[in-house]
Amino acid sequence: MSGPMAMDQVPLLDVRQLEVVYHEVSTAVQGVSIEVAPGSIVAMIGTNGAGKTTTLRAVSGFLPAEDVAVTNGTISFGGQPLRGLLPHQISRLGVVLVPEREKLFQTLTVKENLEFSLTRKRRPIRDAVYDYFPKLAERHGQIAGYLSGGEKQMLAIGMALVCEPKLLLVDELSLGLAPIVTNEIITILQTINHSLGLAMLIVEQNAAAALRVASFGYVLEGGRVVFKGEAEKLLKHQDMREFYLGDHDANSYRNIRQYTRKRRWWG
Amino acid sequence: MRTQSPYLLVSYAETNRVLPNPYQRVMVSVIVAAIVCIPFVAGGYFLHLMNLCSIAVIGAVGINLLTGYCGQLSLGQASFLAIGAFTTAILAQRFGLPFFVAIPASCCAGAMVGFLVGLPALRFRGIYLAITTLAMHYAIIYVLTDYQAVVGPSASAGITVPAPSLGGFTLNSERGWFYALLIVAVLVVMFGINLSRTYIGRAWIAIRDRDIAAEASGINVPYYKLLAFTISAALAALAGSLGAYFTTVVTVEEYTLELAIVYLAMIIVGGMGSITGAVLGAIFITLLPFGVERLFEVLPWQLGTTAFGIEQAAIGAAIIGFLLFEPDGLIEVYRRIATYFERWPFRYRELKGGSGR
Amino acid sequence: MELFVSILALGSIYALLAGGIVIVYKASRVVNFAHGELAIVGAYVFHSAGFLTGATLTGPSLLVTIAISAAGSTLFGVVIYLSLMRRLLGRPTFVAAMVTIGLAIILKAGIVVIWQSRSVGIAIGRQPLYSFAGGGRIAWIDLVSIVACVLMFAALAVFFQYTPLGRQFRGAAENPLLAAQRQVNVNLILALAWVLAVFSATLAGVLFGSRSMLSPQSTIIGLSGLTAALVGGLDSLRGAALGGFLVAAATYLTARLISPTLAETVPFLILLVVMTWRPWGLFGTLEELNRV
Repeated sequence: MSGPMAMDQVPLLDVRQLEVVYHEVSTAVQGVSIEVAPGSIVAMIGTNGAGKTTTLRAVSGFLPAEDVAVTNGTISFGGQPLRGLLPHQISRLGVVLVPEREKLFQTLTVKENLEFSLTRKRRPIRDAVYDYFPKLAERHGQIAGYLSGGEKQMLAIGMALVCEPKLLLVDELSLGLAPIVTNEIITILQTINHSLGLAMLIVEQNAAAALRVASFGYVLEGGRVVFKGEAEKLLKHQDMREFYLGDHDANSYRNIRQYTRKRRWWG
Repeated sequence: MRTQSPYLLVSYAETNRVLPNPYQRVMVSVIVAAIVCIPFVAGGYFLHLMNLCSIAVIGAVGINLLTGYCGQLSLGQASFLAIGAFTTAILAQRFGLPFFVAIPASCCAGAMVGFLVGLPALRFRGIYLAITTLAMHYAIIYVLTDYQAVVGPSASAGITVPAPSLGGFTLNSERGWFYALLIVAVLVVMFGINLSRTYIGRAWIAIRDRDIAAEASGINVPYYKLLAFTISAALAALAGSLGAYFTTVVTVEEYTLELAIVYLAMIIVGGMGSITGAVLGAIFITLLPFGVERLFEVLPWQLGTTAFGIEQAAIGAAIIGFLLFEPDGLIEVYRRIATYFERWPFRYRELKGGSGR
Repeated sequence: MELFVSILALGSIYALLAGGIVIVYKASRVVNFAHGELAIVGAYVFHSAGFLTGATLTGPSLLVTIAISAAGSTLFGVVIYLSLMRRLLGRPTFVAAMVTIGLAIILKAGIVVIWQSRSVGIAIGRQPLYSFAGGGRIAWIDLVSIVACVLMFAALAVFFQYTPLGRQFRGAAENPLLAAQRQVNVNLILALAWVLAVFSATLAGVLFGSRSMLSPQSTIIGLSGLTAALVGGLDSLRGAALGGFLVAAATYLTARLISPTLAETVPFLILLVVMTWRPWGLFGTLEELNRV
C-alpha cells in the first residue's frame, strides 16, 4: 500500500512505529506509522478507543501526566524529533493541537481567547480568523463559556490558528455538533488549507465528513493502523463502506438475516 | 494430602492469620523477644526514648486510620491528644480516680470529641476538610487554655498528674513504663492491623480512593467517616492520657498545631495507609530530634539555644523530603528492598521510554 | 474616626496576606500554609537589612533597604517555586499543601536559628501623623499601609485584566494544559505567582513589623490571612481585599470593645462560621469546593 506522497517528497510529520502504554500494562497504540505530506489534509478514522486521540496527544506532547508513556517509536516534524520535548516547545515549533475537550478558556471572552497567543506579527492572522468565522466577530466580547457548541469549536480552531501552526491537529471536531455545523466547519477548514497551505491531521469518528476534505486517510482499530490509502480508495472500500460509512449493498446478506461480517481489510 | 504451601490455604483460620507463613512467625517472635530483653541491657535514657516512641506509635496508628486509610486529612490531632491528657489530669488529680478508670474515660472523652469534630467535616474533602479540623483544633485548645488558667496553680504551670498505681504497686520507673507502654502499643498495633483487614478498613480505603463511587456501591460514607474520626480520636486520647501519666504534668502549651503536624509527619514519613508504616514513622520522627542533637555533638558547630530550631527544621525537612522523593514512605523503601531479594535473580524492569517527563 | 483608620490599616495588612494566598491558589490550586511565615521572614530580613545599611526614617539607606528586601523576596519566590513546587506538578494538590506546611516549619525554625527568637521591631513610620482631640492618634505607618494596599491591589487588577501576561495568567489558572498548548510557558506563570505571593507577603510583614513587635510567634498572622482569603473566596482577589478588612474589623472591635484575649480567637471563630455557613466564601466560585 502506498504512502500519501511521492518518493522524493519529505513528509512534514513522520510518525513511525509509535507505541503508547497506559499504566505500564495497557497498550493503547501499537506500531502506528503515519505520514502527513506538506499542505495536505490527512484523516485518522476509527471508533472509540481505537487509539486516535492517544496518537494525537503523543505527537503534540500532551499525554496526561499520570502514568502514560511513549515506549517506542519516533515522531519527527520536518526532520526534528518531537519525543522528549516539552509541550509548549512542540507548540512553538508549529505543531498545534485543537483538543477534544477543554479546548478554550471558558472564563475569558472570545476576544481574550483569540488574543491569548497574540504577538505583533500575528495580528493579521487574528483578523483573518474573524474573516473565516464571522460568528466570532459578532460575539467577540462575550464570555467564551456561554457560546454554543459550534461557536466554541470555531473559537478553538481560531485560537489554534493564531499560534501560527505549520501543522494543525484537530481532535474529534464533530463531537457534539449537529451535522450541518460539522459540515460548515469542515468546509472552512478546507478553505483554510487551500488558502494558507496549512497541513492538517484530523481525527474523526464521522468518517464521511472527514473523507470529504481529506486527501489521505488512515483507519485505526484496537491501536493499530488496519488500512490506509487515498481518500477515494477509502470511500470505495467495502469494509469502510459497511462499517464506517453506513452504506451497504441493497443485495447484501444483512437485509436477509442477522450476521456479522468480519472485517478483512483487503479488496 | 495437605502440603505446607503458603499459597494453599485450607481453613478459615489460616486465611485470617496475620502472619501466614512460618518464616514471618519466627521473625516476629525473634523481634518481640529482643524487644522484651532490651531493658536488661539498655540504660535509662534509651528506655525513656523507647517510651516516647511507644506513646507516639499509639497516636500515629490513630491518625493513620483517619488520614491514611480513610483519607480524611485532619489537622486536629493535637487537640485530641490534649483532650485525653486533660481528662486524665482532671480525673486523676481532682477526683483521685485510679488509672483504670481515668484512661478509659479519657478514651471515651476523645471519642466524643472526635465525633463532634467529624460532624462538620463530613461536608468537605481535601483542603477544606483540613481547614475545618484546624478551626476545631483552635476552638478546643482555647477552651482548654481557659480551663488551665482557671484551675491550675498558675496560668502556665499546668496540672500535675499523680503516677498510676494499683494496690501497692506504683508505676514510676523507666523499666516499668517500658513494659506497660510496650504492651499497650502492641495491643493498639494489633487492633489497627485487624481493623484494617475487616470490612471497616476496606470501606475506609474505598472512601479514600473515591468516595462518590464508595457511596454508589452502598457504603454508608458518613457513618464510616464518623467512625474513623471517633476511633482515631479515641486512640489519640489514649496516647495523650498515657503521656500525661508518663510526664506527670499537663500543660496546654505543648498541644500546638506543630504537634498535629508532627503526627502527620509520622505517617507521611512512614507511609500512609499502612500500620507498620505508622510504627516506623513514629519511631523515626520521635528519634529525629535526638539524632540531630547527637549529630551536632559530633560536628564542630555548637548548637546552643538554636538547638530547638534546628530540630524543628529537621522535621520540616523530613516532611518535604519524603513528600518530594519518597511519597509512599519508609514502608515503601522496605518493600522495595524486600521485593528485590524476593525476586532475585530476576529484576523487575520498568518499561523503557517515557515522554520526556 | 481613629478607629476607622486603624481598622483600615490592619485590614490592609490582612488583605495583602490574603491576596498572596489567593494568587497562588488561583494559579495552582495550592493553599499556601506558609504565607504567615514568609511574611515574618521578610520582615526580619528587612529589619536586618535596615540594620546593616543604617537606615533611618528618610534618606537613601531606606531605599537601599527596600530595594534589598524587594529583590530578596522576588528571588526567594523563584527559589521556592523551582526547588519545591515545580516538582509537585501533576500530584494531588493537598500534597503540595503539606509541602507548604513543611516549608512553614522550616521557615519558623529558621527565624529561631538566625535571629535567636529576639523580638524586634521595624522602627519606621511610628511617628504620629495626626492627633485627634479625643486623644487618638494616627501614625504615618497607618497611612502607608492603606496606600500600599490600595496600590498593590490596583496594580494587580490592572495586570490581570489588561495586560497580555495577565491574560495568560488567568488562562493558565483555569486550564494549564490548554495554556501550554497555546505556547505559554506555564512554569513561568507559576513562578510569577509565587514571586507575587512572596513579595506581597514581605510587604505585609514589613507593614506589620512597623506597628507591632516581631517574634517567631508572629507567624500566627498567617492564620488571619488564610481566614481572610477563605472569607472572600480562595480564588477571588476582590474577596481577599474585602475579607482582609472584615477580619481586621472583627478582630479590632473585639479587642477594643470586649476583651483582648478573645480577640486572638476571632480569626478561627470566623473560620468556623465561614466553613459551616458558606465555605466557598463571599466571591469564590462554587465549583472550587469540589476540585480539592
